[in-house]
Amino acid sequence: MTMAWIEAVNDFIAQGGTVVKLILVAAVMLWTLVTERYLFFLWVYPRLQRQWLQRWHQRRDKHSWYALKIRERLISEARLQLRRTLPLIKVLVSLSPLLGLFGTVNGMIHMFDALAVFGTGNARAMATHISHATLPTLAGMTLAIAGLYASQRIERRVEAATRHLSDQLHFE
Amino acid sequence: MRFPTWLLAACLLLPISAAAADLDQLLAEVKRQQTRLSQVDRQREARFLAEKQRRQQLLAEAKARLKALEKQAEDLKAEFETNRQALLELEEKLQASSGVLGEIVGTVRQVAGDLKADLQQSLVSAQYPGRAARLAPIADSKRLPTLEQLQTLWTLMLEEMTEAGKVVRFQREILASDGKPFETDVVRIGVFNAIAAPGYLRYLPETEQLMVLSRQPEGKPLRLARDFLSAQGDRAPVAIDPTRGVLLEMLTHTPNVWERIQQGGLIGYIILALGAIGLVIVAVRLTVLWRVGKRVEAQLEEVEQPRDDNPLGRIFLTALGAKSTDPETLEALLDEAILREIPPLERGQSLVKLLAAVAPLLGLLGTVTGMIQTFQAISLFGTGDPKLMAGGISQALVTTMLGLAVAIPLLFLHALLASRSRTIILILEEQSAGLVSQILEKHRG
Repeated sequence: MTMAWIEAVNDFIAQGGTVVKLILVAAVMLWTLVTERYLFFLWVYPRLQRQWLQRWHQRRDKHSWYALKIRERLISEARLQLRRTLPLIKVLVSLSPLLGLFGTVNGMIHMFDALAVFGTGNARAMATHISHATLPTLAGMTLAIAGLYASQRIERRVEAATRHLSDQLHFE
Repeated sequence: MRFPTWLLAACLLLPISAAAADLDQLLAEVKRQQTRLSQVDRQREARFLAEKQRRQQLLAEAKARLKALEKQAEDLKAEFETNRQALLELEEKLQASSGVLGEIVGTVRQVAGDLKADLQQSLVSAQYPGRAARLAPIADSKRLPTLEQLQTLWTLMLEEMTEAGKVVRFQREILASDGKPFETDVVRIGVFNAIAAPGYLRYLPETEQLMVLSRQPEGKPLRLARDFLSAQGDRAPVAIDPTRGVLLEMLTHTPNVWERIQQGGLIGYIILALGAIGLVIVAVRLTVLWRVGKRVEAQLEEVEQPRDDNPLGRIFLTALGAKSTDPETLEALLDEAILREIPPLERGQSLVKLLAAVAPLLGLLGTVTGMIQTFQAISLFGTGDPKLMAGGISQALVTTMLGLAVAIPLLFLHALLASRSRTIILILEEQSAGLVSQILEKHRG
């Protein structure tokens, strides 16, 4: 079962050429980061949230300018923690179509090289390069769409968590 | 002139003294002469007659001989005719009886010719040189092949067949890619490929020699080949070229990275130069930001001891040095201090972003100029030669590729820079006031 799966991935890489490998690396990075975020929301963040709430509730002064600034600081710290890898996720998402395009251009160049060597007679020599040209675009697009969805979800979750925290930090 | 007188006198005197006696003598003499002459005549006649007779005899003899010879000629002619007839008959018989054999000889000749061409191209000939030459007498001569030659033919055929299915290791002198010969171990995989220590080999049919490919396939195929050369045991994986070297040959035509970059021309170099500048800026900024970030984090740990070697510490010092602790004054002071700290943190980022945006545009420019060249080539030479167009098109595409190849890492690195500086700036903007408040509260107890 796993062997067949690995085989399929190998086939895809062989058909797609070098750039598909790059996209695959980007995909692994992206999904690792996304998983890390979700694990953070699940396990780490609740603990941090309790700490911040505790720190706020220990204060007596909850209404001066100082208190306001300290509350802002707490919220900002929370947001920083929550968003930590989001920029990286976003840039990976925006890079993957570019990588696909790169693969396409690369494949086209090789195709025209084959054309330069064999002329138009050898359609088979061109066919490999055409698959090298199209598969990276496919892979890049797929990754970008799926990654876009994931990054939007995370962003929404960050906003919701921040809002929730600022609701809980009562400022009188 | 004066003759001697005595001589004249002698001359006049002599005939007169002998006149009377001599006339008789003369007559007798004449008669005698006449008889003698007629005798001579008779003798001559007799001789002539004898001669005539002899000639006639000779003539008769010659005639007889002629007749005999003519008869002989007649005989021979007749014999020739019969012989010719017999020959014709025999030839006809030969034709009839060798009709099938002739076809077989033709087939043998053709097969020998085909096999000769095959053996010349075959990789096995690198191991056993001179095989094609052994077939030349069968393929080229007009005579019937001898039994020995026929045996050679099928032995060679069988040899080629069995060798085609073998993986063999043998010692052979091969040519390096610069043409220098050297002795080495060669592994031949069927009729497909030959491998030696430097990598895949190319077969030269003209000299029946092996030559190291001037450009080896990259990565896995070459590694497999080298492993295969030193492999122990029954089996080992190896990559072969099923086209008997055509694909590998193709490889030597495809340009390497540097040649590819050269295809991009001036615009390609410009793109790469911009990329290099961008990378340098990113490297410098990343180290600066990394150092500042470390110091800010250290400062966050020790809020009580503000230091002036980091932005956060400088903001603390400004705020704590203020003469009044009135919130509004403090807020204004903090804002000013923060505004001062932000530009050094964001320095260079816009330039990196600009370079990342310009690189694909330059690539597009290169594409357009390349296409213009292509269309110029078409207007000059027509569309007859796709190779001519393909060169221009690949030139156009290389710039696009270079543009993307520069833009993608720059964008990625810009994102890294931006997120790093953004984190620090957020700390300054949103947390410094809170931290200052914390310190002030503590001071007041």
